[in-house]
Amino acid sequence: MPPKTAHNNLAELDFRMMVQIDMEMTTFNSNWTHCDYISTYLARTVSHNRPDSVLFANLLSSALNELLEITFRTRHSGGTFGCSVSRRNHVDRIELTFTCGEDERRSFEHAVTRIQAGAVEAGAVEADYISSLSREVGPGRDMLLLELVVSYKAQVRFDTYDDSVKLVVDLPLGGLTH
Amino acid sequence: MTAVPFTNSPPFKVQFDSSNQEFAISGSVRPRSVDEIVPSLTLLREAIDSVSGVFYLNVRRLSQMNNTAFHAFTHLLVDACQARPDMSFVVITSSVVGWTTQKFGRLSRIEPAIRVEEYDADFYPGQSFLEEGGFIPVLRTQTKMTWRHECNILPRHGMREGITMADICCGIGDFAALVQKEFKPARIVALDHSRSSLAYARQVAADFNIRGVEYIYGDASEMMFEDNQFDLVTCRHSLQIFDRPTLILREMYRICKPGGRVYITNEKISQCLGEPHGESIEWTYDELAKLFAHFKMDLEMGPKNRHYLMDAGFDDVRAESFMVTNLDGDPQDFADVIQAWEDTFAGEMSNKRGDSPEFVERFRRGFQDHIFAALHPKGYAGWPVWVASGRKPL
Repeated sequence: MPPKTAHNNLAELDFRMMVQIDMEMTTFNSNWTHCDYISTYLARTVSHNRPDSVLFANLLSSALNELLEITFRTRHSGGTFGCSVSRRNHVDRIELTFTCGEDERRSFEHAVTRIQAGAVEAGAVEADYISSLSREVGPGRDMLLLELVVSYKAQVRFDTYDDSVKLVVDLPLGGLTH
Repeated sequence: MTAVPFTNSPPFKVQFDSSNQEFAISGSVRPRSVDEIVPSLTLLREAIDSVSGVFYLNVRRLSQMNNTAFHAFTHLLVDACQARPDMSFVVITSSVVGWTTQKFGRLSRIEPAIRVEEYDADFYPGQSFLEEGGFIPVLRTQTKMTWRHECNILPRHGMREGITMADICCGIGDFAALVQKEFKPARIVALDHSRSSLAYARQVAADFNIRGVEYIYGDASEMMFEDNQFDLVTCRHSLQIFDRPTLILREMYRICKPGGRVYITNEKISQCLGEPHGESIEWTYDELAKLFAHFKMDLEMGPKNRHYLMDAGFDDVRAESFMVTNLDGDPQDFADVIQAWEDTFAGEMSNKRGDSPEFVERFRRGFQDHIFAALHPKGYAGWPVWVASGRKPL
């Protein structure tokens, strides 16, 4: 049965689709190394026409891997998983479509709301992130998303659908050179 | 030195060098949980416990680290700062990787005892003389002059249509652009450690609508390319101005595919020649070789190409040479190159060594005599270049 994923038609008008991977959530969750393999492969695939392809691929792989790891850790085994990279000028958009439980959905909404609120206040997001580094416990979902905002100036959006959710992250990495 | 190999995550390695008090993490570290990296964390903790003074965390070859691992390693470092206030911690990053300097740099806002240093900020001793402003036009002319020869030579050393190739220490990128046009490789990446040269290369590529060359910032002695990627790896006129050429050759060997070739060119500058005024020219180029040696650069390296390649593990080593002369094309091109050499070598470099005015005057005279020979209707002026390539064994 082909996977069912929800993609934002409006976004596709603005952004040019570069590459997309769809698979059953069960398959994606069957092996942790999928995160590494998919992020490395996709980052390299879309890197060749960027000014410094190795730098771009390394940074995009790093950001994408964190997002895939977040998705992997949702622990929801049903439904389908979709990962796409689209592009508009210097911005690469990562869209992750997946299924998750209600509590996880609320957690994502809370994290994204917090980021969007912090973005209004200069420095608040970075202060949050620095503070999280010194905590005893490992990185939570909110910290991982905060790091993308702080390190890559990412913009994050979270959409919900009937049977899935979508994490949309815009990364302005395309114009980077050393 | 103690090393911990990772069976489940072979892409990364950690090791501790007790003599340098340096703990190094390299490769890609993306564990699912902290449990997977406990041996590494234990080694780091034991390493810190075993030293005093300054502790170095070397991440210059760390290409990837997920936040699970980053938090575990850095939390251990922060804890160590609090437990050992007598110590300071230096994180050594590379500007090439792109994320480590900024990300590890944030640790100093939590613990001032942690400091980040980019190790490759002043890495190439000859670069400052050669990369800035005025030398760029002459580099273009030099490549134009050598290309007349190399475009015929290269096919004997593995160049052919459709290959994947890397040009290491590409400078202003003109050789890569010429290769792209003439030989149409499937992929060509051109790497250099000079931001100004790469900016120039990208601008030229944009202006001339040259597509398909990836200009990449990188450190030739520690490249971010994976092993066994390229059919042909070239490095022209650069090993001779690097004080540790074997490091670059080792990296070129690593990224070359088995059965692929590594191609290098170097000079023996003391054998530049010309007539008339041959003696004056000979004296100046002998002195030029000594001047470069003073700055730890071996401009006499050309005939040693074969030796270097064999020592690096290559087989089927092929070596030849060619002479760029005033008769190849417009003699004025030759004269322009020599004039630029004089300006830089008898100017900034000679001045930096502290040469006397009398020496500089005689030194300059040889260059002027070389120009005279190049432009003389019956004159002859030459600049010899040594070429060699070796095959990476299958």
